[in-house]
Amino acid sequence: MSRPVLVRREQVLRGGQPLAFAVGLAVALVVGVALLVGSGHDPLRVYERMFEASLGDPRAWSVTLNRAVPLGLAGLAVAVAGSMGLWNIGAEGQIMAGAIGAAWVVRIGEGWPSPVLITAMLAAAVLGGGLLALGPAIARARLGVNEILTTLMLNEVAIRLVQWLTHGRWKDPDSHNFPLAPMLPDNARLPGLFERAHMGVVLAAVVILLFGVAASRTAWGYELRVAGSSGATARYAGISLPRKILTVLVLSGGVAGFAGGIELSGTSDRITESLSNGFGFAGIIVAALALMRPSGVAAVALLFGAVQIGGQSIQTMGVSSSVSTILQALILFGAIAAGVLTRYRVEMVAGDATEAGR
Amino acid sequence: MTEPSHPIGPTGPSETSGGDAPSVELPAVELRDIWKRFPGVVANAGASLRVRRGSVHAVLGENGAGKSTLMNVLSGVYRPDEGEVRIDGVAHHFRTPADALAAGVGMVHQEFRLVPSFTVAENVVLGACERIVRRPAVESAVEALAGRFGLAIEPDRPVWQLSMGERQRVEILKALWRDARILILDEPTAVLTPGEADELGAVLRHMADDGRTIVFISHKLHEVTGFCDEATVLRGGKTVAASLSVADTDASELAGLMVGASPVITERPPAREAGEIRLQVRDLRCSDDRGLPALNGLDLAVRSGQIVGVAGVAGNGQRELAQAIAGLRHVESGTVHLVGEDRTDATPRQRFADGLGYIPEDRIGVGLAPRLSVTDNAVLRTYGRHRRGPFLDAASATGHCRDLVDRFGVRTGPLDEPIAGLSGGNLQRLLVGRELVGGPRVVVAAQPTRGLDVQGVKAIQDLLVGERDAGAAVLLISEDLDELSTLADRLLVMHAGRIVAEFDPVTAERHAIGEAMIGHAETADDTGGDQ
Repeated sequence: MSRPVLVRREQVLRGGQPLAFAVGLAVALVVGVALLVGSGHDPLRVYERMFEASLGDPRAWSVTLNRAVPLGLAGLAVAVAGSMGLWNIGAEGQIMAGAIGAAWVVRIGEGWPSPVLITAMLAAAVLGGGLLALGPAIARARLGVNEILTTLMLNEVAIRLVQWLTHGRWKDPDSHNFPLAPMLPDNARLPGLFERAHMGVVLAAVVILLFGVAASRTAWGYELRVAGSSGATARYAGISLPRKILTVLVLSGGVAGFAGGIELSGTSDRITESLSNGFGFAGIIVAALALMRPSGVAAVALLFGAVQIGGQSIQTMGVSSSVSTILQALILFGAIAAGVLTRYRVEMVAGDATEAGR
Repeated sequence: MTEPSHPIGPTGPSETSGGDAPSVELPAVELRDIWKRFPGVVANAGASLRVRRGSVHAVLGENGAGKSTLMNVLSGVYRPDEGEVRIDGVAHHFRTPADALAAGVGMVHQEFRLVPSFTVAENVVLGACERIVRRPAVESAVEALAGRFGLAIEPDRPVWQLSMGERQRVEILKALWRDARILILDEPTAVLTPGEADELGAVLRHMADDGRTIVFISHKLHEVTGFCDEATVLRGGKTVAASLSVADTDASELAGLMVGASPVITERPPAREAGEIRLQVRDLRCSDDRGLPALNGLDLAVRSGQIVGVAGVAGNGQRELAQAIAGLRHVESGTVHLVGEDRTDATPRQRFADGLGYIPEDRIGVGLAPRLSVTDNAVLRTYGRHRRGPFLDAASATGHCRDLVDRFGVRTGPLDEPIAGLSGGNLQRLLVGRELVGGPRVVVAAQPTRGLDVQGVKAIQDLLVGERDAGAAVLLISEDLDELSTLADRLLVMHAGRIVAEFDPVTAERHAIGEAMIGHAETADDTGGDQ
């Protein structure tokens, strides 16, 4: 009789992360077969539909790419902070704050030419997200207050703020008393790219690329790596830790805010309390799967987006939304669990009594 | 209460060592022809070790000789690529440290693995006790165990209150509690004061007399000759001398085996005319990490072309002094002048620009960033010079690193790999090289040779003397009196945050220095110095 045990690898498997994702996907699809058969569906047809809806044709790609944009930017926001050992788990709220900033610009810039308006919207979005992160950043940099708690709690504040605005000052007078903000005017909408994809795809890719270059090739990125590796070493090297923490957390918030601006201008017709749609929290998973590297964030966000779009599409086949959600969760869970295999390997051992101790 | 204890004997019926005559006592530990390769490095190339039951056995070797790897093989951390591990004659294939412990092999690591807020007793039994811990019962059991081996410990004290020596005793107790019959101690005296080291020696003897087997890793020869029965010497991953009787071997012979050439003889480098004052500290006061006064009005001056040594018992403000001069600790009052300028409030970077090279006592975590590459660490002080606009010029940084590695003889793998793969001696060469490469005018070196092997010590000492000869003012803070008396031109003794005595290192008597170190400065012979 033998049983599998996990044995720590002496070195982390190189290039193991994509492999882990593939293994996780495979495991989830196999487990999903049982789930689908159990709920009375043909697994092959469901999987086929998931693939077609997310990656099957240009139109499917465009929808998936649109979804990958907020996921990737939120993931980048978390990764920027994470590369310095900080956890910004307030991206959800910062997305909202960014969207509020952008929506505010729309209100004051009614007749502006579209490029000017959109640029101002996105700038305000970055400011909004950064502003929401400013408090936790100052508290962390000056007083050492744990940024995990402060960023998390501000999520609630941002969502309540949107509710307050949509129920009150920003309520559309023509909404028959529904708590809805007015639809965006056409000049506030991002131009299209192809099929349903909008310019936000390009903007997000550029921003992620910029951060990738900044993190790996600039003195700023170098300082970030030193500070992330050891605070005492950073001080020794003359790097001001409080300033670094402040800029990195605010920047992280700004990136999440940017995601909010793009989401508002690109896919949502108006600001609503569900605009952030869990992207901020999903961003934590994206960043973790990407090992906090901007280069990985883009790839993970794309896969994550495809899983979400594919999962939603099968609801039209009568698969209940909870089954589809479970399937999405299985795939992510599988990928995260398989990440363990980059650090451990499985070995079969003889399962005799003396070795069963642990 | 403990885990099921293990009768001495095979875990399986197989492989009891050959058909040898039963009258020949089986060694407690036998490692045969161990090979262990890491990417780019062969750490063990056919190393072997044979340890008699009930003996204290030294494993000697330079940094990088393969001692740690071999011990990690024995304690189940690594699995050998080839070779055989036998405990009491039975072959084992350890997969985890827990497997090794089940066979009776316990390791006391250099870095302690203790929960600071737990008491001594709680730490000892953690993970190896009944589900419900009844504190009084556990404490008396731990106390009884400690008493059996002459380990002085208070079981109900929280670990954070303990000194390094006491923490080490807790680690030893942890292994004993788990019924380890073979204890590996990895450079156990590195964190101890000389007095504590002697106490440890007595405890080890006690345990050996009790029938336990001790494997003692060290490169301090006087400890080996003081504590150990036998010694095995490793060099370049191979065993070059196995189970020498320490009584019949003298220290210089062991040193020769370790280094592989003629033993290093430390001679006093010829003194040099001292120049102008380069580093002046006046009435310096600052606090330690707990907010307690650490420096209480300290004065000192170091001239160009001079090495000033600072001796003292650990914890008398040496650490804070070095940090205050480097700009890494808040100064409450007093001044620090570098090359004639008041730099009390300057940043670490400004001080480096003024020509201050600083070798901190914490190599990894202060002097070097652990997860970064060799190149990233090499340019830690000067990355500003490798900038091109906002970008870091990778070619220029790598070139600088290559230069440093060649010039200071750092043995390393690829320069873009993390420094984690470097041995202690090579890490220190990299760090010291980086601080000295620009020709500093003032050097502050805190414990620069601690934990290094004979060759590493010599290399670092030569570098410091070389800087002095080039005209730098060198402040050498060390706990090694031999080092201080060999290198220093003036020897200061620090006690309770002040300089309490000064000696001429050539003529000073050791016991007088020792008296001053424990605060009896009035009895010390103050020969004064040139100031």
